[in-house]
Amino acid sequence: QDKIINLKISLWVPPTHPLVKSTQEWADSITKASGGTITATVFPAEQLGKAFDHYDMVRDGIADIGYVSPGYQPGRFPVINAAQLPFTVANATGGSAALDSWYRKYAPKEMADTHFCMAFVHDPGALHSTRKKIVLPSDVKGLKVRPAQQTMGELVTTLGGTNVQASAPESRDALERGIADAITFPWNSIFLFGIDKVTKYTLDVPLYTTAYTWTMNKDVYANASAAQKKVLDDHCTTEWAVKLSAPWTEFEHAGRDKMKKAPGHEVVELTPDQVAEWRKAVAPLQASWEKQVAAKGYDPAVVLGDLKKALADKQAAF
Amino acid sequence: MNAMDSFIAGIEWIAAGFVGLVAADIFISVMLRYFFSYSIPDGYDFGRLFLGILIFWGIAATSYRGAHITVDLVWESVGPRLKRFIDVFATLVLLLVVTVQTIMLFDKVAQTKAQNVLTYDLQIPTWPFFLVAWLGDVAAVLLIAVRTFRLVFNPKSVNEEHSTAPVE
Amino acid sequence: MTQNFVAVSGFVLLFALMLLRVPVGMAMGLVGVTGFGLLAGFGPALKLIGQTSMRTVTDYTFGVIPMFLLMGAFVTNSGMSRELFRAANTFIGHLRGGLGLATIAACAGFAAISGSSVATAATFSTVAYPEMRRFNYPQSFAAGTIAAGGTLGAMFPPSTVLVVYGIITEKDISRLFMAGIVPGILAVLMYMVTIMVIGMVRPDMLQVAPKSNWAERVRAIKDVWAPLLLFFFVIGGLYGGLFTPTEAGGVGAGGAFIIGLLRGKLNREKILMSLLQATRTAAAIFTVLIGALIFGYFLTITGTPQKITAFLGDLGLGRYGVLLLILLMYLVLGCLMDAMAMIILTVPIVYPVIVSLGFDPIWFAVIIVMTVELGLIHPPVGMNVFVIKSVVPELTFSKIFRGVAPFIVTDLVRLGLLIAFPIIATWLPSHL
Ligand code: NA
Ligand code: NA
Repeated sequence: QDKIINLKISLWVPPTHPLVKSTQEWADSITKASGGTITATVFPAEQLGKAFDHYDMVRDGIADIGYVSPGYQPGRFPVINAAQLPFTVANATGGSAALDSWYRKYAPKEMADTHFCMAFVHDPGALHSTRKKIVLPSDVKGLKVRPAQQTMGELVTTLGGTNVQASAPESRDALERGIADAITFPWNSIFLFGIDKVTKYTLDVPLYTTAYTWTMNKDVYANASAAQKKVLDDHCTTEWAVKLSAPWTEFEHAGRDKMKKAPGHEVVELTPDQVAEWRKAVAPLQASWEKQVAAKGYDPAVVLGDLKKALADKQAAF
Repeated sequence: MNAMDSFIAGIEWIAAGFVGLVAADIFISVMLRYFFSYSIPDGYDFGRLFLGILIFWGIAATSYRGAHITVDLVWESVGPRLKRFIDVFATLVLLLVVTVQTIMLFDKVAQTKAQNVLTYDLQIPTWPFFLVAWLGDVAAVLLIAVRTFRLVFNPKSVNEEHSTAPVE
Repeated sequence: MTQNFVAVSGFVLLFALMLLRVPVGMAMGLVGVTGFGLLAGFGPALKLIGQTSMRTVTDYTFGVIPMFLLMGAFVTNSGMSRELFRAANTFIGHLRGGLGLATIAACAGFAAISGSSVATAATFSTVAYPEMRRFNYPQSFAAGTIAAGGTLGAMFPPSTVLVVYGIITEKDISRLFMAGIVPGILAVLMYMVTIMVIGMVRPDMLQVAPKSNWAERVRAIKDVWAPLLLFFFVIGGLYGGLFTPTEAGGVGAGGAFIIGLLRGKLNREKILMSLLQATRTAAAIFTVLIGALIFGYFLTITGTPQKITAFLGDLGLGRYGVLLLILLMYLVLGCLMDAMAMIILTVPIVYPVIVSLGFDPIWFAVIIVMTVELGLIHPPVGMNVFVIKSVVPELTFSKIFRGVAPFIVTDLVRLGLLIAFPIIATWLPSHL
């Protein structure tokens, strides 16, 4: 007779976010497969703690499973940030599959005090601006940009811009008030947060993505019975990483066409030469990332090489 | 006793100094943005880290002065003996809570150091700021212990500001 | 142990600790951690303390609280309350009950800088009370007018109560500020009418003071224009898009500091005093914020907010029935605790109910501020009343409450108007 486990699943996105519904489906599938011995309650909207703290919350058992954004804490999880390097991931479907299968090797060390379940990326986001049209890297100089995560923050600094920090809901205000001139954001979330009302230009290039993990408390996993462990393992797979994030991927992906059709919005496309110029401009970011990873005892060439290979295998390399 | 009082005053000045720093950080950031289109690197992170320091050092002073937000309905309506009993009880609970908080905060500071969490722009470690904030909580424990001791053995010397310095 | 049992015991223990004068924030934290520990293990519960404390005190958006407090402290210590009162007095002091009218007008002006109703009441106890007594206004009338005028402090922007409501419910603080303006003006007008009616009914009670000439009026205006301009700059800039709420507070504090220095009203001692006052009050508010967050996490895992929403929905009272029930609860709680503690403790539970009933959250912010402010002046416990008593020891509680009574009636009428015509609160934020 297996002991009943009730999982507290914590997310920091609002209840309307596509991820909340797919989390519920994931949890229901676990309940069904375990014959009802594993149940779950989903807590969206930071009800158990702030977005920044989700990794620690899971490690400490405040939540049993958490949706973690490793890039929120600059310096802490350098390896997984490889996926956040600009112009690395081209699409989320293949990108999530590649990230998950690649990071499985590194998670036990980099996220040692939790049980890794899966990892995924969001559909690549773009650079949106209010007044100034951005085409080349030099256009960012002197701009105030609200970056999505720390890698983007570094990008802004590298290109001679300055960072403005604001939460996603505050971002619209910041742009409207001229506190920020531009923002890196996924395509459809721009509409979800009403930011499209204040932006005019979007640079159509898979500038960045953010890597996320789905992380489990170690004791919860250790204390499960063999049968329950198998159910959990079966739900912590690369297939599930893609499946869980699929509704969100589709949602964001639809935003690209929506933006192109939206009146008063210009979507800027780049020539191969211009793309090459961007790649050159962001090169220092990779160097800085390599330094961080090397400091933690990894070989950056191997780490990034493996990721790029996995991405190429899944048709998700840019 | 005089040494104690200047110690408390010192703690309050540390907190007050940081509130001034936060205000200056924000004020100057806004002015630079509008007049020179320039942002102080890590102005945002400095603002919030100083805020943390000011609040914990402020909690130390507030706890000592009995200036926390309290419900005084029962306390107001009982005699001096019961009043004193309530005071001692409340201070002991306060001591317990703040002591536990201080221990757990140390854990947080140590972890932040181990995790190598950095600021956004300059990428400097955040843990030293957390450490300074934590020292404020340590001061709070010391001051509450002093307050408890004085309440039990020398009630007249307790600085009771509550009735004239309400909060909100 | 069932979730419901732990949740109910938690509330009982919380109230017991608070009545034994354990600081509200500490009581919430203690009960929250204990309850969380019983349901989810004490290891996680203890970790919640360090996590929540550090995250809360280093949240940039919460910086708005000490900044507006500092702005208010600089302005208060520059002696603005006296100047405002004098200015108002030169214009309307000669009417019947004129000193009372001037007190209300000066409170409104002061409210435009101060975020706190208690601070407003405390300030005018020292400024307006002696003046009204000099003209033989009854003690009860003078104290009642100041207690009521004080409540304007939280109604007009900036308002710490509205800031905290905005933080808890994640509503735009600048919109909340705008929502308070028209109801605040309504309050001023209704208080003034109340005073004029008292003056008509009891002309012997409220003497008439001599009329000021225009030279005196111009001189008085010269003293107050700079800080009032600062108010329009800060609140206008906040709404018009120059800065975020935290920045507005920082700009206000910096501006108040510079104006005070230039006018020679701030010396070293007053500057240090202002910094200290802002620090102490901010620390007290953050203590409650931290405690409330921890208590909130505990309530989350017990599912209490959903259960209360369902329970109130099942009562069959209709949406206005439930609203009245909630407002009654606030009036009762107003007998126990001050505005900030009440807001922080109850809004996380009440807010989902209000939203599920289809009420406008911005409108409800104004309703809730009015209700908790009423709690500050209604018997048996009222923070504003205590403050006035502590500044003016010659007063008795019964005298103050007697003086406050007509204003409580006015406030209830105003509350009824706001419920009947929500547009009073919602018009301005939706048209700017
Ligand atoms: Na105000
Ligand atoms: Na009351």
